[in-house]
Amino acid sequence: MLVRFWGTRGSLPVAQRAGAIQAKIAHALVAAGGRQFADEAEADAFARANLDFATYGSYGGASSCVEIEGADGAFLVCDMGSGVREFGIDSFRRIAGGHPPVYHFFLSHLHWDHIMGFPFFGPAFNPNATIVVHSGHTDAETALRRQQEEISFPVPFDWLRAKFEFIVHPPGEAFEVGGVTVTLVAQHHSHDSYGFRFEKSGRAAIYSTDSEHKVDNMDAEAAFEAFFANADLVICDTMYSLGDTVSLKQDWGHSSNVVAVDLCHAARAKRLALFHHEPTYTDADIQRMHAETVRYEELVRADRPALEVICAYDGLEVAV
Amino acid sequence: MDLGWQVRDAGGRLVGEPTGRVDETTWEAFSAHLIAAVRQAIAAGAPLIIDLSGLDYMSSRGLRALTIARREAGEATPITLAAPNDRMREIFAISRYDKLFKIVDDVDSDA
Repeated sequence: MLVRFWGTRGSLPVAQRAGAIQAKIAHALVAAGGRQFADEAEADAFARANLDFATYGSYGGASSCVEIEGADGAFLVCDMGSGVREFGIDSFRRIAGGHPPVYHFFLSHLHWDHIMGFPFFGPAFNPNATIVVHSGHTDAETALRRQQEEISFPVPFDWLRAKFEFIVHPPGEAFEVGGVTVTLVAQHHSHDSYGFRFEKSGRAAIYSTDSEHKVDNMDAEAAFEAFFANADLVICDTMYSLGDTVSLKQDWGHSSNVVAVDLCHAARAKRLALFHHEPTYTDADIQRMHAETVRYEELVRADRPALEVICAYDGLEVAV
Repeated sequence: MDLGWQVRDAGGRLVGEPTGRVDETTWEAFSAHLIAAVRQAIAAGAPLIIDLSGLDYMSSRGLRALTIARREAGEATPITLAAPNDRMREIFAISRYDKLFKIVDDVDSDA
């Protein structure tokens, strides 16, 4: 499987303002120290080798959308945040190359930041496309139809031309889509949320976002340790610090970087992807949070195998 | 590694002394000891000091047990964390628990 991140921001899409770009350029020029470059390719090579990610790159600002590539004859996509627009455009390119126009979506939940990209999902207008929406919620269709009512959007749902199917799955009952086995787990979040485990050829990837692990219900975490067990990649909601989740932002429905590490350690997972980044965080803030999480993993690893901690960004691809 | 725990009266202050480490295998015992100590401190009208000098580290399970203990203690019974090793100091900083709890260099600092 190949996991491709189209949107990694939590709660609200964000865009870089001019000041942020200008600061990156100034930082890069100082780092270059007056060097001469023959062309942009040479300058690019220098930047890649010498600048940190927050300067040379960006974590992006689209809200949650993650593709799981590897199913037979179908696109598998977690959530329909604003990142789904770019995915839809890219899927046209792949369909032109022979990929069937079959889309399977897996909705963690129905909050706006996780479905807001759907009205801009071009393939929904393709009469040859099939769109299957898998969810733990019984009201997924209502949520998608409601955001296209006239008060919110000019194009009603019934104008869409793709063939739609909505399927509700109970947690714990595995089902198969294009040769990929999928299982849900119930999570704590307003109006509920669900995590997904994708398995194929002995490999497993987990998508677990908008999941609060309550301080007064730590016994419930055994279910997540089992759900994450031996996963090759765990994509986890790491929106806040632990301190925030037990104080000011308690009951906001999100988790922390350190709880994600602990769950992955207990589950013997191999790799953790930090996800659902706080929208007020700058690239430097996210990079610092990533570095702190890597360090925390070292501090509490003890005799466990090392857990690789990566930080998701819009455009990242991870082979599983 | 097992978790050890002792509690002593130190001149009007109650001092809890965990040893070992707190993780997914030991947090329940740690939390139970903490809650018992909090109730003892409340009954005695004494502040509670947690002497961390014998603790290797605690993961988020231990940190959250501290939060549960403080909720049990309420405003009238302060909890102070004392003498964390360098590893624990880093964990407090990364988790931002250094902004939630009073942390002192040694047990007597809070006397």
